[in-house]
Amino acid sequence: MRVIISILILLFFSGLKAQNKQLLYNVSALPQTLMSNPGANINFDGHIGIPFFSQISLAVGSSGVNMHDIFKTSNNQGINARITSTIQRLTNQDYFMVNEQLEIISLGWRLNKDNYLSAGVYQETDVFAYFPKDPMTLINEGNNDYINVPFDFGDVSFTGEVLNVYHLGLNKKINKKLTLGARLKLYSGIFNVESTDNSGTFTTRDTPNGPNYYGHYATGINVRVNTSGYSSLKDENTTVQEATKDLLKKSFFGGNFGMGIDLGASYRLDENFTVTGSIQDFGVMYQRADVENYLYYGTYETSGLEPLFPEVPAGGKAIPYWDIFEDEVDANLKDETVHESYITWRPLKINTSLQYGFGETVGPCNYLRPMRRRFENIMGIQLFGVMRPRGLKYAFTMFYDRKFSPDLRMKLTYTLDDFSYTNVGLLVSKKIKNFNLYLAADNLFGYFNLAKSQHQALQMGLQFIFIK
Amino acid sequence: MFLHAHFNKVLFLLLIFLGVTSCVKDVDLNQTKDISLQPKLQTDLLIFDVDENDFIDPETNRLRTVIKDTVRLEFLDDSYIQDDLDKVEFSFKYINTFPQSFDTSIYLLSENDNTQRRIDLKVQPGSQDSPKTTEIIDFVNTDEIDQIKRSIKMVVEITVLPNSEAFEGELQFQSKGLFYFVF
Repeated sequence: MRVIISILILLFFSGLKAQNKQLLYNVSALPQTLMSNPGANINFDGHIGIPFFSQISLAVGSSGVNMHDIFKTSNNQGINARITSTIQRLTNQDYFMVNEQLEIISLGWRLNKDNYLSAGVYQETDVFAYFPKDPMTLINEGNNDYINVPFDFGDVSFTGEVLNVYHLGLNKKINKKLTLGARLKLYSGIFNVESTDNSGTFTTRDTPNGPNYYGHYATGINVRVNTSGYSSLKDENTTVQEATKDLLKKSFFGGNFGMGIDLGASYRLDENFTVTGSIQDFGVMYQRADVENYLYYGTYETSGLEPLFPEVPAGGKAIPYWDIFEDEVDANLKDETVHESYITWRPLKINTSLQYGFGETVGPCNYLRPMRRRFENIMGIQLFGVMRPRGLKYAFTMFYDRKFSPDLRMKLTYTLDDFSYTNVGLLVSKKIKNFNLYLAADNLFGYFNLAKSQHQALQMGLQFIFIK
Repeated sequence: MFLHAHFNKVLFLLLIFLGVTSCVKDVDLNQTKDISLQPKLQTDLLIFDVDENDFIDPETNRLRTVIKDTVRLEFLDDSYIQDDLDKVEFSFKYINTFPQSFDTSIYLLSENDNTQRRIDLKVQPGSQDSPKTTEIIDFVNTDEIDQIKRSIKMVVEITVLPNSEAFEGELQFQSKGLFYFVF
């Protein structure tokens, strides 16, 4: 038990990733900008990523707690008291999230002056869990201090998925002011788990009028955990080799497919101002293969077991009160495993920005490429949102994007979100001939002491970018 | 451009910044070994409500002065009790409207009916208008907890102490356990 708790706690603080890529949004020189806005203004004519290295994106987020809160050394309070006070402080709106993306293939080329086609494959892991406040309180403290207080199982809400995404996108300049883009995505699911829309309460009530000290009420319990790609993994007879092979097979032909679309636009308001917007992953997945659903539902109340004091002859059998009680519980609180297909929506993301460019530069003249005013400096604001089970989570960013030369660019961001008010990020993108290297890290102050940070994100990549 | 010319240094500095300044300070991960959950769970146990009819032998129609029953508490065998139970505080309450006293005993028995713990309580006489509540709290400390872990049955035995008053009334019983766990 202790090992499981330790692993859970460490997992919360070590592997968590988030997915706002404010540093890569609308960076016209980077192909990855097309992944967050297919309608971005771009200034390159072709790109090909180093397989598996064109984008490695990792990020971590915990809205209400950091490692230091739990493991700090400068406090007389014991660790268990700190865990208890942390659980008491967090709310059921606090959350933990993991997002990882790895571009396997990434390439693109200009079809003509106005159209740029891009395609690729990436693998994504996305995990999001609200803090299950009431169940955690019940497990950690029990019901003794919570008589007459319902424990709400609706607090359990999480999603997790591992999938491969095959995509093809077109960036199209409509006129001097407007650029539109769309990206079609085919999702191939490797693993999915979701448990949302749960309900039901467990309450221990004081019953001064009897029949016992308390009454225990499990009311309207309805908890469902859907999984795909999981039941075959837990087969104990499978060897590691078989499981690996199975996993690889699943990543390409998993049987759980979905379709989605990204849409984006950039519109130049005047000489200096540009407004952009995009939606990503407006998509649905059909979880049909290797599906297992775990259901817990029902209503039951009890005040204890009631002996009847029958006359039992010596050696006679007592009434099996416990068995009767268990049968009653089983009949009223069901625990079922079924195999039912289900549909999941990908976490929809929205991006929007307003930017102001100044310090004009002259780009190389090229009839193949759309003529576009270029600026050495761009300042602006961005708003990011991602749809989660209980609504959108937002991040607001102010940025300054500076082109030091055609080959060197930096973008500095300041982001306000659920994780911190001190998130300063930096992107550095450098070209050496056609070879491009970029590194983007947010919440730089967090690196001074990761234990106190509630959010870290890092993106990096190696690729070739061609400008004719 | 200065930055352009010194790109490698800039990148190097950024990496240094991320790599060298990124550290985990003022924390002691060895504390994980001290982590334990210590929930305190209140659970109802047995209840009953007997009247004079429950003291009549159904075969002979004569008064039984002693009635008893056994209830298996199968959860006492479960691993979370066997491995992680630290203390228990039992509460037993009788509410008596009989004008008679009762000697009551609660036994916790092992599978082989060996008594592991016994709680005796003399229930005071009451009346219809003024029920008498008699309560006892039995605290089982960590050093005695094996008595509970070895138990699987709870036996309730009630002996009426007849007197000159008419034998009419109700005897209610309530019981609960406050289980202290250390996971």
